[in-house]
Amino acid sequence: MFRVELLANSSSHATPGYTYVADRGFDPAKAAMAPALGRKRGIHNASKGGDISSRRANAIIRHLAELDRENQRDVQIPVPARPAKEAGARVSRTKTTSNVRRILVSQKTFRNHLDDEEAAIAAGGGGLSIPVGAAAIAPVIPTRVKAVVAAAAARRSSTPASTAAARKKRPSAVATTTATSTPTPAPSQTENTDAEAEEDSDERKHKLIKTEHDNDPLLRSYAPTLPSERIMDRLLAEPALSYNASRAGPPISTQLPRAFCCMCGYWGKIRCKSCHLRTCGLDCYKVHEDSRCGAFF
Amino acid sequence: MVTTKSRTSAKAAKNSPDVSTRHLPAKTFVLDNGAYTMKAGYACDPSSSSEEALSNCVSIPNAIVKTRENRIFTGAQLATHVTDWNEAVFRRPVEKGYIVNWEAEREIWDQTFFEEKATARNKLLRIAHPEETTLILTEAPNNMPVLQRNTDEMVMEEWGFGGYVRCLGPTLNAWNEVNSLFGDPLTKSDSDILPKDCLLVVDSGYSHTTVTPVYKGQPLQRAIRRLDVGGKLLTNYLKEIVSMRQYNMVDETYIMNEVKEAVCFVSNDFKADMERTWKANRKREEAQSVVVDYVLPDPNAHKKGFMRPHDPLLHAKKKKGAQSGLSAEILSEDVLVLGNERFTVPELLFTPSDIGMQQAGIPDMILQSLSVLPPGLHAAFLANVLVVGGNSQIPGFMERLENDLRGIASSECVVRVRCAEDPFLSTWLGGSRFASNREEVGKLAITRQEYQEYGSGWAGRRFAGMI
Repeated sequence: MFRVELLANSSSHATPGYTYVADRGFDPAKAAMAPALGRKRGIHNASKGGDISSRRANAIIRHLAELDRENQRDVQIPVPARPAKEAGARVSRTKTTSNVRRILVSQKTFRNHLDDEEAAIAAGGGGLSIPVGAAAIAPVIPTRVKAVVAAAAARRSSTPASTAAARKKRPSAVATTTATSTPTPAPSQTENTDAEAEEDSDERKHKLIKTEHDNDPLLRSYAPTLPSERIMDRLLAEPALSYNASRAGPPISTQLPRAFCCMCGYWGKIRCKSCHLRTCGLDCYKVHEDSRCGAFF
Repeated sequence: MVTTKSRTSAKAAKNSPDVSTRHLPAKTFVLDNGAYTMKAGYACDPSSSSEEALSNCVSIPNAIVKTRENRIFTGAQLATHVTDWNEAVFRRPVEKGYIVNWEAEREIWDQTFFEEKATARNKLLRIAHPEETTLILTEAPNNMPVLQRNTDEMVMEEWGFGGYVRCLGPTLNAWNEVNSLFGDPLTKSDSDILPKDCLLVVDSGYSHTTVTPVYKGQPLQRAIRRLDVGGKLLTNYLKEIVSMRQYNMVDETYIMNEVKEAVCFVSNDFKADMERTWKANRKREEAQSVVVDYVLPDPNAHKKGFMRPHDPLLHAKKKKGAQSGLSAEILSEDVLVLGNERFTVPELLFTPSDIGMQQAGIPDMILQSLSVLPPGLHAAFLANVLVVGGNSQIPGFMERLENDLRGIASSECVVRVRCAEDPFLSTWLGGSRFASNREEVGKLAITRQEYQEYGSGWAGRRFAGMI
């Protein structure tokens, strides 16, 4: 027997000319967000406890969409009509341009705009669609700067290779924040800055109490230096991410998601055999079974 | 598509105008256009203190409301005209933090800022001559280009402001006087107002919670992250739980929002609080510290809702009715008993996976944001975390955020998390201080003449920093 099950995923395939978006029974356009689930999620996520079926995932999406609503019911609230005199005064003040008229009559919701943008990105349009990972910092650093970093790393073996040695004197205000907050990194930082910065920090060094352990390699802390102004300029000049790309990713921790009793909110220790909702004990389970268990889940 | 087009047309329209010749009106109006409330007022001169500046700022609900008598109220009328909030429904022009519906927004703005007559009430807000006013308007991060363009066109074509700056709301906080908040020495002289060098702004508002690293007053776009949990979701979640367990409150958004503000707190020991509120423990002493009663408002008797300690015997007494010796007033009131609801609801800000959301909580999100920045900046940002927005007012929020962040951040970094003095108006105040630095405003602003000459596409690219 075959059984076709439509998985909850948010990917859409773009082919020149049209876009394919999976249509799942309920209106996915209203869903707040779709959890990223791969095809073989059962196999991949088994160890992480991500044992959600596509039904469960869809139920979560629907629940989140429900929580995102402004009003419980769909209501139309018209903009109150103004007295004719005032309305007339407004018209006389400025002439309504075609742009303004177009914007005012637009009934598009946020979701419509978002879909438009996603389609534009999928078609190769503007905006950064992929969230940049930690490794993606590399393209920002111009190759020439990279060479400088490599050279610096070769010259001073104490410098961690990943940090870009600041060629210029650090902005003094930032330096004071780091110096006051983290006094320990200061000595190591002075080693890989230029001569003038060294003088500057020498003055600061006199204020610290000197001990013979200052040069102990075990006690030295390697605080990365501030990036150069050039890198900062490049970072500041980057365009904004798209709406979906800027959403926070899944948590780093691998803890199992907590389950709660669907009746009283206490820990969900037992699971209903027919609908997989959790309850905390027999009291709540009986109420659940009698009144709320939607067995067709 | 957009980028290539912008590049070519940037060359065509030979860009940055001559700063010295153009006229930017000195009078500046700052508008922090939030989804729940607008914070608006004229920026005052830099010499005045923050209290003086804040006295110029007014918060106006950014909504159109229909009450159950089918009467419709707009913006500032909500505070004065609406007494019965039962079953009130809302229309908000700002969706997910972005202005989407301009039909409604124009109505609210017109009524609030552009009244024909000057009255005592709108003295602080009335914009009599938009063409002689510079507008500083905030937007939420990662807005869509279409919506930005709509905003620019409305501001410049419908009202015709003389000067206009559209900027990310969180970045304005860097202009505030935050050094004293963090206990840093005051280095700058009073004469020139400059933004803080490194500031990580956590903005937890009505629609969402964002993390924005701000470097010298400018956002680091690649590191902006957003958690789709805000005040609205928390209210709706509380409403849903209460409706399932006690009374049906699904239509009472406003009332549940008041309940949320009155009773919710962020737990610093989730497991222990959970045990305390377990129903078998309810009658013990320790449960009394967490479980509370909330008496619902009664609009017919003009009584407001309030919180009081839980009385475990109240229910039994009520059953006995008049014999128990309770007054008729107490017998008639409706009470919500709130136990674990008090802290499991705000917990979503820290553990969104509790409702199955595949997103990280705020502390995790801060680290995710920093992970795409050069490691040299991590220490500076972690030592300067500023929280703004309404959710920071939930008791326990700041302690929990600082504890959790301390736990997961690198042990070599100092973690300092501070709440702005006035988390609601902090962004507005920053905008007001930013306005007094004419040079910086001139760098970002566009004038009416420029808009008329180059159009909205140019304006959008200029605000995106491409020109």
